[in-house]
Amino acid sequence: MRRREVVQFLGAALALPFIPRGTEAAIEFGESLHLRLGDVPFRTLNREQQALVTNIAEMIIPETDTPGATSVKVPEFIDLILTDWADDEERATFLAGLRDIDARAATMGAQRFVDLTPTRKTELLTALDAANSDKAGAGLAFARLKALTVYGYFTSKRVEQEVLHTQIVFMGYQGNVPFTPAA
Amino acid sequence: MDDMTYDAIVVGSGISGGWAAKELTEHGLRTIVLEAGRPIDPAVDYVQNVRPYDLRYRGMGDRKRKDRYQPIQRNTGACDEWSSKFFVNDLENPYSFPDGKPFYWIRGRQVGGRSIMWGRCVYRWSDLDFEANAKEGFGVDWPLRYKDLAPWWSHVEKFVGVQGRKENLATLPDGEFQPPWELNAAEQRSRDILLAKFGGERLITNARLAVLTQNHDGRAACHLCGHCPRGCMTFSYFSSINSTLPAARKTGRLTLRPFSVVHSVIYDPAKKRATGVRFIDANTKQVIDVKAKVVFLCASAMESTRILLNSATAEFPTGLGNSSGELGHNLMDHIMDGGATGTLPFALDRREIGNRPDAIYVPRFRNIKTKHPNFLRGYGFEGRAERAGWDRGAGTPGFGAAFKKSLIKDLGPWEMSFGGFGEMLPRHENYVSLDPHLVDSWGIPALRVNCVYSDNEKKMQEDMVVSATEMLEALGATNIRTFKEDNPPGLVIHESGTARMGRDPKTSVLNSHNQMWDVPNVFVTDGACMPSTANQNPSITYMALTARAADYARQLLNRREL
Repeated sequence: MRRREVVQFLGAALALPFIPRGTEAAIEFGESLHLRLGDVPFRTLNREQQALVTNIAEMIIPETDTPGATSVKVPEFIDLILTDWADDEERATFLAGLRDIDARAATMGAQRFVDLTPTRKTELLTALDAANSDKAGAGLAFARLKALTVYGYFTSKRVEQEVLHTQIVFMGYQGNVPFTPAA
Repeated sequence: MDDMTYDAIVVGSGISGGWAAKELTEHGLRTIVLEAGRPIDPAVDYVQNVRPYDLRYRGMGDRKRKDRYQPIQRNTGACDEWSSKFFVNDLENPYSFPDGKPFYWIRGRQVGGRSIMWGRCVYRWSDLDFEANAKEGFGVDWPLRYKDLAPWWSHVEKFVGVQGRKENLATLPDGEFQPPWELNAAEQRSRDILLAKFGGERLITNARLAVLTQNHDGRAACHLCGHCPRGCMTFSYFSSINSTLPAARKTGRLTLRPFSVVHSVIYDPAKKRATGVRFIDANTKQVIDVKAKVVFLCASAMESTRILLNSATAEFPTGLGNSSGELGHNLMDHIMDGGATGTLPFALDRREIGNRPDAIYVPRFRNIKTKHPNFLRGYGFEGRAERAGWDRGAGTPGFGAAFKKSLIKDLGPWEMSFGGFGEMLPRHENYVSLDPHLVDSWGIPALRVNCVYSDNEKKMQEDMVVSATEMLEALGATNIRTFKEDNPPGLVIHESGTARMGRDPKTSVLNSHNQMWDVPNVFVTDGACMPSTANQNPSITYMALTARAADYARQLLNRREL
């Protein structure tokens, strides 16, 4: 994270107890606070919603021989987008959709989604994946979760550097290179 | 400040202003460039290699900030989390339009102007374009033909560094080209198929771009990062900052003054000449006059006209040099956002390496040999074939380990898209005027824009969808998705007209050398001068017209005629 944005982010996220005098001092203060906090705090999702979002994000992109959604902090990214990017209506629709996912789980014999067996979870997400054009409810929430999980995962530093090995600059353009999808 | 006197004043430092600065200083004139916005330092401001994870929203943009400060600018794609800083704050730079008739005015106020974020597509015109107004009775006849501008296109192309493929098309003349990037496997196959099926009428060719494929004039060949609108540390694409302003600086005759918001041109009725311009220091709000023998307005089409409207005198009560009554009128843009995307059935065993910023072009094919029943003039397509990679994830069924693996290891099929860019006819009733109440942050009267697309443009947009679909069908594409957006004019960011050139001072503002009929030492060489827009991307034409006008001004000054 660039220095300027550390301050900007924390300034927006927290009520700072005091602002040190001078820009440089403020940046250092912001960075030290950032390091102490470790992770970005959740600001929209409560603990139950965090558990639900984390569970589903990890099911969309699970840990395999490469990192999964949770270990590159996709749930934190989703919370950031819900808090600072989404408008009130989008946020409310999404949270209502999460409630609807738990309501669907309740009809499958568990109190909440996270309490379902792995097989039942897969069954429910498969149904929701087919309902991704829904304008509200569980189908919409899953579609949003999936889009944000894919985006947050593949734009993370660790995935770009360790999984995709993204090349940034090129010595020239080649438009006709043999390609076979890796097995 | 005392005695701010120069040989020439250039207002604006974008595509046209940069060229005016280069040419005038190289002609030996001590030149001041007044730029309304801030200076740009490539080392600090160019953000090409900033990765998504270095941005707060990973590239999704600071939406609430844009909603608040850039409600107009946010509508263009390049105004993203990296480059929104290159677009104006709409609250500081207001303008108005009638209810229900929006016009999106996309602006960049900084040294380099919009040349930092421009689309870099450069296409010459042919006489089909220059003669259209006269033949069809729209607007006024161009005072120029291809032969008048061809040497000046060559002049600017050689300096800019343009890649392109020679095609020998009468309607889209070749220029001074560096070798282009090759078409990718899917585009080459598509070109071959369309050549066979349409007999050469619909041609996929390599986009002609102001992006270097070979080192040129101290600038490096492009490294294909694919993020031109963020700036370019290797100066591989043409912009004022990368190219013309350094050349002007090298002469020792350039003074570049950022934060200088021009208010008006100062006119001396006794001499019937401009004596200079009045500007406001953006930071101190001090009003400052600067004098010169010649003034080049290159502030962008509508800004240059706004300056002239704000320069009204007793002799010119409706705006400086407006004896024709055409100042402010005949505003044009292009029309886009008609076309289609489809999934190609071939080349799945091929990929590309490197991110080309632009890929292919389909030159205009309507109203050339046969007349289209629904509209006049024509459009070209920009497009590309690409494989989406992980970006296809949200729209791909599935989840879990296999889904993840497929996004990492496979690329998805080639998707081919064609998006049209069509000509907008010049119409007197599309115009800008001064808003009677609105002023900008510096107290300068703002514009009111009255501009709508006509039926001709809308019919053309409908045809873009039809012909794009025909081409995709000819390619055997599946999953064809058409698009036709009802966007307001302005969004193509090719606004032009409002101070047109012509052959007759009674019906035009400028003569064939971009010189004001009424005030001979004022030249307007940005998009304001255009009597029509053709369908080609306009910047290279503004460059050629500017260089030509600067040469003419040099001749007049040498003959002591200004």
